Amino acid sequence: MNFVVPDFYPAAAEIFVAVMALVIMLASTFARSVARNLAYLLTQATLIAAAFITIFTMEGEVVHTFSNLFISDLLGDVLKLMIYFSTAIALLYGRGYLADRKIDKPEYYLLALLMTLGMMVMVTANHMLPMYIGLEMMSLALYTMVAFDRDSARSTEAAMKYFVLGALASGLLLYGMSMVYGATGTLEFSGVAQALYNQTANQTVLMFGVVFLVAGICFKLGVVPFHMWVPDVYQGAPTAVTLVIATAPKLAAFAMAVRLLIWALFDIAEEWQMMLMLVAAASIVLGNLAAIAQQNIKRMLAYSGISHMGFMLLGLLAGVVEGDRHFALNAYSSAMFYAISYVIMSLASFGMLILLSRAGFEAENIDDFKGLNKRSSWYALMMLFVMFSMAGVPFFIGFFAKLSVLQAVVAAGYFWLAVLAVVMSVIGAFYYLRVVKVMYFDEPVDSSPIHAAPEVRVMLSANGLAIAALGLAPQALMSLCAFALLRSL
Amino acid sequence: MSLALIVLLPFIGALFPALMIRAGRSACATTAFVFPLLALVLLLAQAPAVFRGEVLVAAWDWVPALGLQAGFFLDGLGMFFAGLILGIGLLVIVYARFYLAKSDPMGVFYSYLLLFQGAMVGVVLSDNILLLLVFWELTSLSSFLLIGYWKHLPEGRQGARMALTVTGAGGLAMIAGMLILGDIAGSWNLSDILRNKEAIQASPLYVPALVLILAGCFTKSAQFPFHFWLPHAMAAPTPVSAYLHSATMVKAGLFLMARMWPVLAGTTEWFYLVATTGLVTMLVAAGIALFKDDLKGLLAYSTVSHLGLVTMLLGFGTPLAAVAAVFHILNHATFKAALFMNAGIVDHEAGTRDIRRLGGLLQLMPITATLAMVAGASMAGLPPLNGFLSKEMMLHEAVDTRWLGNGWIVAALATLAACFSVAYSFRYIVHVFFGARRDDYPHAPHDPPAGMWLPPALLVVLVVAIGLFPDSVAGPLVAVVARAVTGGAVMDYHLALWHGFTPALGLSAIAVAVGLGALVAYRRVRALWQAGPHPEAKAMFDAFIAGAAALARAVTHGLHNGSLQRYLAFALTAFTLAGFAAFLAAPHAAGTRALLPAHPAAIAAWVLLVGGCALTVMLFRRRVLSVLVVGTVGLIVCLAFIYLSAPDLALTQISVEVATVILILLALYFLPKEGPQSSSVRADPLRHLRDGVLAIVAGIGMAGASWAMLTRDGSSLSSYYLDNSVSGGGGTNVVNVILVDFRGFDTFGEITVLGIAALAIYALLDGALFGRTGRRLGAWSPDRPQSADRHPMIMVVATRVMLPLAMLVGAYIFLRGHNQPGGGFIAALVVSIALIMQYMASGFGWAAQRVKVNYHAMIGLGVLVAAATGIGAMVLDQPFLTSTFGHFHLPLVGEFELASAMAFDTGVFLTVVGAVMLALANLSRMGRWTSPYTINTGAMDVDPRAASGKEQG
Repeated sequence: MNFVVPDFYPAAAEIFVAVMALVIMLASTFARSVARNLAYLLTQATLIAAAFITIFTMEGEVVHTFSNLFISDLLGDVLKLMIYFSTAIALLYGRGYLADRKIDKPEYYLLALLMTLGMMVMVTANHMLPMYIGLEMMSLALYTMVAFDRDSARSTEAAMKYFVLGALASGLLLYGMSMVYGATGTLEFSGVAQALYNQTANQTVLMFGVVFLVAGICFKLGVVPFHMWVPDVYQGAPTAVTLVIATAPKLAAFAMAVRLLIWALFDIAEEWQMMLMLVAAASIVLGNLAAIAQQNIKRMLAYSGISHMGFMLLGLLAGVVEGDRHFALNAYSSAMFYAISYVIMSLASFGMLILLSRAGFEAENIDDFKGLNKRSSWYALMMLFVMFSMAGVPFFIGFFAKLSVLQAVVAAGYFWLAVLAVVMSVIGAFYYLRVVKVMYFDEPVDSSPIHAAPEVRVMLSANGLAIAALGLAPQALMSLCAFALLRSL
Repeated sequence: MSLALIVLLPFIGALFPALMIRAGRSACATTAFVFPLLALVLLLAQAPAVFRGEVLVAAWDWVPALGLQAGFFLDGLGMFFAGLILGIGLLVIVYARFYLAKSDPMGVFYSYLLLFQGAMVGVVLSDNILLLLVFWELTSLSSFLLIGYWKHLPEGRQGARMALTVTGAGGLAMIAGMLILGDIAGSWNLSDILRNKEAIQASPLYVPALVLILAGCFTKSAQFPFHFWLPHAMAAPTPVSAYLHSATMVKAGLFLMARMWPVLAGTTEWFYLVATTGLVTMLVAAGIALFKDDLKGLLAYSTVSHLGLVTMLLGFGTPLAAVAAVFHILNHATFKAALFMNAGIVDHEAGTRDIRRLGGLLQLMPITATLAMVAGASMAGLPPLNGFLSKEMMLHEAVDTRWLGNGWIVAALATLAACFSVAYSFRYIVHVFFGARRDDYPHAPHDPPAGMWLPPALLVVLVVAIGLFPDSVAGPLVAVVARAVTGGAVMDYHLALWHGFTPALGLSAIAVAVGLGALVAYRRVRALWQAGPHPEAKAMFDAFIAGAAALARAVTHGLHNGSLQRYLAFALTAFTLAGFAAFLAAPHAAGTRALLPAHPAAIAAWVLLVGGCALTVMLFRRRVLSVLVVGTVGLIVCLAFIYLSAPDLALTQISVEVATVILILLALYFLPKEGPQSSSVRADPLRHLRDGVLAIVAGIGMAGASWAMLTRDGSSLSSYYLDNSVSGGGGTNVVNVILVDFRGFDTFGEITVLGIAALAIYALLDGALFGRTGRRLGAWSPDRPQSADRHPMIMVVATRVMLPLAMLVGAYIFLRGHNQPGGGFIAALVVSIALIMQYMASGFGWAAQRVKVNYHAMIGLGVLVAAATGIGAMVLDQPFLTSTFGHFHLPLVGEFELASAMAFDTGVFLTVVGAVMLALANLSRMGRWTSPYTINTGAMDVDPRAASGKEQG
């Protein structure tokens, strides 16, 4: 066996982030006095630099390296850029919040960076093992981040639940992977696809494997019936961490779904599409129904997130109709567009919660938004954008996200699913609008002015405006998604 | 291009009033006036072409990926509605300038109003149905802002919310319908869809599409049973009510039904859905309107009733009915907007809109009264006003319509509605303006400034003009609009005041007579009405919302009560179901491999194993016991390894088992000896049943999977290792060769992790000794009585004798490891156990004085040694961790083999000993911290040497 030095170039960004994580760990150990600021600034710098590296090493071609464990393609590059972007914004929003609660330790930023690295590995995995390693790297960092406020019993409990259920799901995912390996004799995605194409795989074992793979993916996306962790974790985690959980990991989970299901298991798409259909329908129904009753806005957004992920799945499950693959590209790019839109909206919504929180006060109830218009009409407008966009009201990005997946579903002929989704989003509109109502029509309970660092103000405003601007001109982002998928498939 | 400009002008205009308000209220109103005026001029410039029958189109790409083209087209229907929206908009802007109080923020009002206007114009001019939907939703939103304009009024807020909820929900349902429609037609452009009548009506999805689209139209146009939001939206300022709720927004639903008429109408589904809804709405709303005491409430329900009338006409599906519908839309817009403004004037000048507090205003407000009388008479359907004309046409169509084979029911109900209509129209006139003058008006009523009465007056002039000369005033317009609605069907009709003595005229006469009669006997009719049941729609709506919230709470509490057990149960159920689904979906016969015979000893071990597992589950709350039972299970596994001829695995298993049980027991010392009490089987049988069933089903699933796996022949990797162990790794103990050679890199990683884990235990336990936890530990006293004889002599002596023997066994196992069962890992565990026994028997204080090894360094050294072995290979230009071996002869020991792997194994040995001992040492240190006893310096509590010395002394 000869050892061939692999081509490191396509993985330059991953290597850079890994090295920087170590650098930050050492730097914050030895420079104790400035560790907090140093770790934060270095993390942000790393994310920005990683973005540049990703852009410069982007080739537009599909490149494999590390014995085909690693794949570099445009899809991965686009998703990675989105991940840096959302992580950087999430850290920016969360910094003041953490500082107010005295939990802005350097380790937090280190964990965030390791989580980013895990997601990058997931996005660029071409093999079950790196996929799993990336997943665990991300998840373990997230479990820790949820429990970062050690004195909060609620956070600890949430982390505990997240960990136990997450470990169970990881175990089953691994089980599924081993089954797929048993059926096809390979862990590499293209190899699995080849084995399926040649129809050499053992059907029973394969189906077992696929079922558990789908279950594992569904857990990470947080969709019914694997959604149990979502509300408790969203509510229990410090808002800054909830912000992180609700954004970039969704993109990574999307990447995982795409790589596992489409790259590897495309030939049996109609099998897993059935499963996703049940899951998506259940998520949309349950997410919207349960959200109505919530007084806690973090919990409400958690349920809304469940239904949003259900919507995203609509795109993934509409790719193949009776063996016809014409719709695939359109459907998958609509799902990708949905995932990205959701991340942008989530950033803004939890960003608003952080904006309203301050030392000793946790903004987490819908009532905390009462009379926001009187306190700051600008941010009330931004929140209005977010809520309308999440409800799928036209002229905002959320509308086009919903529209594109619904179009894909209708094109695939699942009318009942489209109708169900629309009816449930009608119900969903209710709870989003309730937030708008309390902002504009109720008297503020607490009329203190809103304080935030200037960069948070600027970024949050840009975030809100982006939701509106992308709603007016979604074409660029949509084409980007379609182009990235086209060049990578 | 000018089409797009017509739509954009109000939007552009919306930016200015809010800024211009600083320049004064008139300047603000003027800017608000200019933009719709420009748009109207542009529209009228296109009118000649439209009257010639041309259809103007302007389109450009917006989101091609979604087939979204920002296209506009203008035909008769679009022009008619755009003209209504812009024209009445201008009048409302003038009117509002005088209506709004000084304290009302006028700039915001005009901004909202223009925003709404732009959205409405967008709806009626859009070519692309998706663009139409966008504007459609935008009208819901901007109307929400307008209805809630008076934020200080709770009714305003509630009304706004209800209007938005209902119309927004309908709009979203319509999106689904439109998506289906676009999919059938293969295009998102209305101009294409309108040409695809056959394809659409033949499609199996016609009915779902129809129902969804109608849901949007009915909610927007306040049709029964969605009619309830409109009266509540009347909390809005009167200009808003006049504009939105009479002339424009509520007509959007009618517009869309008219727009879709060519492709959707004409089927039985259409007839029964639309015409029935329209008829019921017309009747019910007219009835309610008669008994409303609020002027605007009366007008609101009358609006609902007239909208129902138009809906019914569209529902008939005949071209003539469509003409009548179009004509009535025009007529209704004129007289109803006039009446709304009129009601606003009364409210503004008299200070109240309550009919019971009004009356006798005729002399006080002569202009207002005149306008009200003309417009009201038109609403009642009296000749020679325009309301009469379209009502006649309606009755004419109603007479010709058969409903479920019944030829008279539609006509009868329509006439009944007309009776109500006459009655409430006259009630508006008589109870407000006639009767005795009162002296308790909240304000002193007088006619308003011209700016307020001129707009309605203009409309009233139209009412009369159309009524007298329908063909010349409205004829061409109605013709071109009707052509657009019916898709160019040939029609034989003429608009005229006098058609001769027709059945319709007779019905009209009946309606007027009965209506006036009802007004005369109003008190009695009202008493009759109040005796009947009144389903309150708002209460139903609130109950619906509350029901949804209750359902949501039930769902949430059922699923997410915060209990991890429940979450796990759900997750496991889902996983199990998924597993069984996959199992059943694929062929699943058992394998064909021959089974091994079951030896009685094996059966006994199996029983013990299963019994041990069951016992662990039952004893899980008593932690010490359950650890011991788990240890037994481990020992049986160890026996199974021996039985299946895997001595090295057995050796590993037993040493690991012993070391871990000891460490767990040490840790348990600090923890509660019993787990927290959970509910008993009796208290919560369902939960235990759930968990039990789940465990059994999941277990059966796993057993089945294992069975399937084990009964099949399969090739495995083991043969490769068995074949290459000696030649490649120089050892006959394949397990050890795999560990230190084939997969040496893995082992290297593992010992590193083990070292890190030990350091983490150290860090955690060390940290626990300080700060808050440290104080808590210090105050903690063991929860169990302890034996006074902490270090019994027999045990001390026994372990002392055992130590050198155990060390020797360790060395022996280590050396033979490469070829015989054994190896560095096992040796390390054996040595660790021997050392632990010293600590346990003689106490930490005594042992720590004698064992002066730095375990941190030992771990590091182990990892370094292993790494050095690997790097050594690299120095010799081989890949990392390439092994080599040779045979040596030592006197006394004999021939033995020395492999580089041995050095690596040393690293493993050192790390494992270091890790186990570090964990132990720290647990002991914590034990000492909490122990109430003094630290022992001697090996035994009762030192025989000291005792004998004393005796001697």
